[in-house]
Amino acid sequence: MDLDLRVKLAIYEHFAAVGRRPGADDVAARAGVSAPEVREAFGRLRAQRVLVLEADGVTIRMAPPFSGVPTPHRVTAGDVSYFANCAWDALGIPAALHRPAIVRSRCEQSHEPLELTVSDRGAEPSDWVFHCLVPAARWWDDIVFT
Amino acid sequence: MLFFRSEERVRTWCSASGYPTRPVVTMRQLWELARDWYATRLQPDSRRPKPDEMRAIFGRIGLTGDFWDPQADAFGA
Repeated sequence: MDLDLRVKLAIYEHFAAVGRRPGADDVAARAGVSAPEVREAFGRLRAQRVLVLEADGVTIRMAPPFSGVPTPHRVTAGDVSYFANCAWDALGIPAALHRPAIVRSRCEQSHEPLELTVSDRGAEPSDWVFHCLVPAARWWDDIVFT
Repeated sequence: MLFFRSEERVRTWCSASGYPTRPVVTMRQLWELARDWYATRLQPDSRRPKPDEMRAIFGRIGLTGDFWDPQADAFGA
């Protein structure tokens, strides 16, 4: 298995296990490689749009669907809580984990709370809606805004 | 990429914010999109979909047109 793949899997395993972003040292320990190798891999994974990094180039902002920072979109699966990057990713977390979950978010206009159960059969029926402001061709112009 | 209680709430929010109103996606469509996009994300052979694969995913759940085209000239590359 090549270095970048080991690093990517270690990042996702960490997020899935604890719900928070790993540091380069966490990833190095989990992947069995050095921290400098991890930091170099982070740059390549960012170029491939696998990761979004903070301005320091070493702190993970996003490993979609997981967010490295708090957001209004929270997901709880078992005894682990996660932050999602957006509404899409809020449903993406139970889809990626293949585990039942509770999604908690809000209506962006009214701030009415949303609580949505996702079971092994998928998301429960709901008359809420999803709205994406940015066209698909422009998502990566500013992925944090998107 | 946000949740709204209803399509009317989307229109109100866009109008107040000066944003254009885009196509609204149902929760059923959103779940199918999340599942198709992320179901393999934790697996070793996972990768981001390529543009033609993105178009196929969106098309399967009824999200079509330039807005959902990752290479639409109307919105730039």
